[in-house]
Amino acid sequence: MTEQELIYGLRNGEELAFKELVNRFQHKVFNTALGLLQHYTDAEDIAQEVFIQVYRSINNFKAEASLATWIYRITVTKSLDHLRSKKRKKRFGFISSLFGETGKPVVDVADFNHPGVQLDKKEDALILFKLIAALPETQQTAFILNKVEDLSYREIAAILNTTEPAVDALLQRAKQNLRKKINQLPP
Amino acid sequence: MNNREDKILNSLSGLQKTSAPNFFYTHLIGRMQNELPEKKSKLLLRPVILTISLSVVLILNIVALTTINHQPGTKKILNPNETATIQSFANAYNLTAETVYE
Repeated sequence: MTEQELIYGLRNGEELAFKELVNRFQHKVFNTALGLLQHYTDAEDIAQEVFIQVYRSINNFKAEASLATWIYRITVTKSLDHLRSKKRKKRFGFISSLFGETGKPVVDVADFNHPGVQLDKKEDALILFKLIAALPETQQTAFILNKVEDLSYREIAAILNTTEPAVDALLQRAKQNLRKKINQLPP
Repeated sequence: MNNREDKILNSLSGLQKTSAPNFFYTHLIGRMQNELPEKKSKLLLRPVILTISLSVVLILNIVALTTINHQPGTKKILNPNETATIQSFANAYNLTAETVYE
């Protein structure tokens, strides 16, 4: 099934086309969401939301970008929204605790072990993911798309709606920030 | 120190992409079946939709009232010039004192 046929099928509400879409993109969507969210269950939740969004708004897809770019864009937006909402809840939880309200912690701060990391690099990757989470959103996104999803500068530029030099600059800044943060770590 | 930086920064090299969980499609379809009809009913309860439908009903009422009052051949419900007196009412139905006691 070509991309055009797939889009046509989706617009006509064909179940076969939707199944094909999920089969084609589920791993990319999940892997990207997992890199950004660093939480397995949240990543599955967001990946599902991405496909529901695609199903709902396929008629708004103008085909100016490829279907993959559009889906990556939705994944990034949804993941970042989820992270923002988690941060808000965390802040609210902190304020509630100041006023003596009892409650469970809203955000789990468990260390994230990416299942695809090589065994001998697990410990370092754990530190790196923690530091990535502290980067500004755009740098974080560019870094994850490049290092975790292995996308080219061109693909990242299309997803972030920017230019290749801008992506290069984002990644350079991300690396500089990460180096700084590593140096601040206790030995 | 640089060695440590590079070691941590390069820890994602050779990273294998993670696959979506098993039965992802089945879970997704289950969620869609639960969520999509619910969204439809929620849409009908949105304040904008409610306000618009109430306004439409009000406008229809006003239009209906004005057209009924302005239709030729229909009497107005209350005409201040045609106030019915007890006497005129009695005359119209031939209700005189005699007729009552006859």
